[in-house]
Amino acid sequence: MSFRGEAAIIGIGELPTQRTTLGRSMPGLLGDAARLAIHDAHIKIEDVDGIITEGGDTYPAFVAEYLGLRVRFATGSSMMGASGATGVALASMAVMNGLANYVLVCIAQARNPALGGGAEGFPGHGSEFDFPYGPAAGANNGYGQIYQRHMELYGTTQEQLAHVASNQRFNAQGNPNAVFDGQPITHQDVMDSRYVNYPLRLLEVVMPCGGAAAVIVTTAERAAASLNKPVYVLGGGIGLDDFGGMQKPEITVSPVARSAPIAFNMSGYSPRDIEFAEFYDCYTILESMCLEDAGLVPKGEIGPFFESTDTTYKGEFPINTDGGQLSAGQPGLAGGFRHVVEAARQIMGKAGVRQIERNDLGLVNG
Amino acid sequence: MATEYKKPVPRPSVNPEVSAPFWAGTKKHELWLQYSKGSQKFFFPPREVSPGDLTPMEELVWTQVSGKGRIYSYTTIYQPAMAAFAEEAPYVHALIQLDEGARMVGNIVDMTEDEVRNNSLQINTRVEAVFEDVTPEWTLVKWRRIED
Repeated sequence: MSFRGEAAIIGIGELPTQRTTLGRSMPGLLGDAARLAIHDAHIKIEDVDGIITEGGDTYPAFVAEYLGLRVRFATGSSMMGASGATGVALASMAVMNGLANYVLVCIAQARNPALGGGAEGFPGHGSEFDFPYGPAAGANNGYGQIYQRHMELYGTTQEQLAHVASNQRFNAQGNPNAVFDGQPITHQDVMDSRYVNYPLRLLEVVMPCGGAAAVIVTTAERAAASLNKPVYVLGGGIGLDDFGGMQKPEITVSPVARSAPIAFNMSGYSPRDIEFAEFYDCYTILESMCLEDAGLVPKGEIGPFFESTDTTYKGEFPINTDGGQLSAGQPGLAGGFRHVVEAARQIMGKAGVRQIERNDLGLVNG
Repeated sequence: MATEYKKPVPRPSVNPEVSAPFWAGTKKHELWLQYSKGSQKFFFPPREVSPGDLTPMEELVWTQVSGKGRIYSYTTIYQPAMAAFAEEAPYVHALIQLDEGARMVGNIVDMTEDEVRNNSLQINTRVEAVFEDVTPEWTLVKWRRIED
């Protein structure tokens, strides 16, 4: 038993990603994204009978009340940046099992840097065993170490991975929701950008932003009557790893090595069948190792792949066609969700100037 | 201490007793880790149960380890998270794979500025623990390169 083809996304909503969302609350942003998705799905607000939120800062019962939804299914997906993609898998299971007819999956990130939240945070493993040694901020530190090890194990170069950033910046041009729309960069610009922490250069690191996104998931039967081209969910898998990574058996391998085979087995397709990819990209190196772990590129060969492949929306294998998070901005908890939304947008044929032609089968790592 | 130490010292979590033997060890310039007889593994950081086999804390055995290992990977910090480190940048923040199996974090000391800026370190380089008494209360573990 699986949810293959049992559920579909029939509506999408996305707010522009912005550096700050002054004066906006999480539920307020969720409301705006939800309205866009509900309108796009051509359903009525009262049709929504299920809700999935991130669940930590946005407790589902609180959001449902704020939005005035009367639901019979609700849960939080609590997977940080992967909350949206995980939410779509949960929503698919809910609708195929009759727990709800139309599930709203909505994830937001409000951002007001003035409210702070410093590196020292609350006491714990970081404050006890890492901060005394002066790490780089947030995840920069660990991804620098992963990058270095990937270079030494596989001969990957910074010149090769700089293409990730410059290709995606090309894709972001003309995407009004992208924070770097109107600011193109070249491969040389990436190579010339300063080190945040070697080997990571500034333009290989995502920019923290606020934003929100939402989709409507319903049963295949109801989706068949949708005015939008239904985006069928053919497979999905979830992988979890150590959060810190300090003790991971091999830091250059991501949990995608475990989640992708589950998704492919469910779908009946193989990596060779995939026409485009929307992949989580907080850093060039993270996206690169995940593309390898999904089987789209053999392990260790991502460097030559980016050297020889046009991954823009005009190219032979488009990746992160909206600019990804590297060029659209990373809306925190909604970060990975924008990959789901863009994949659905491409399959619906609603991607405008960046619409790809081969848009039937995409792979999302959210 | 002639000058005040301005960088962060370790801030243990809600239950400081868990890691107290680790810091008591560093104060004596020794490296002590928890060992689980269940998994037959050393692990780090200290925990109230061992990862994987969930042996309770009272059955975990604090054991002195060699303090030798290899660089698992590293990054060179140009933009530290905390301002107190800004003057020192760039410097190296590394993952160390101990001979006994557990992995630790720390800085690599005894490097020239050229070595740091030229990214001359390589993974698998042999290192050993060195101990820095940064305040009367706290001794940090750092790492220096040794002959293989």
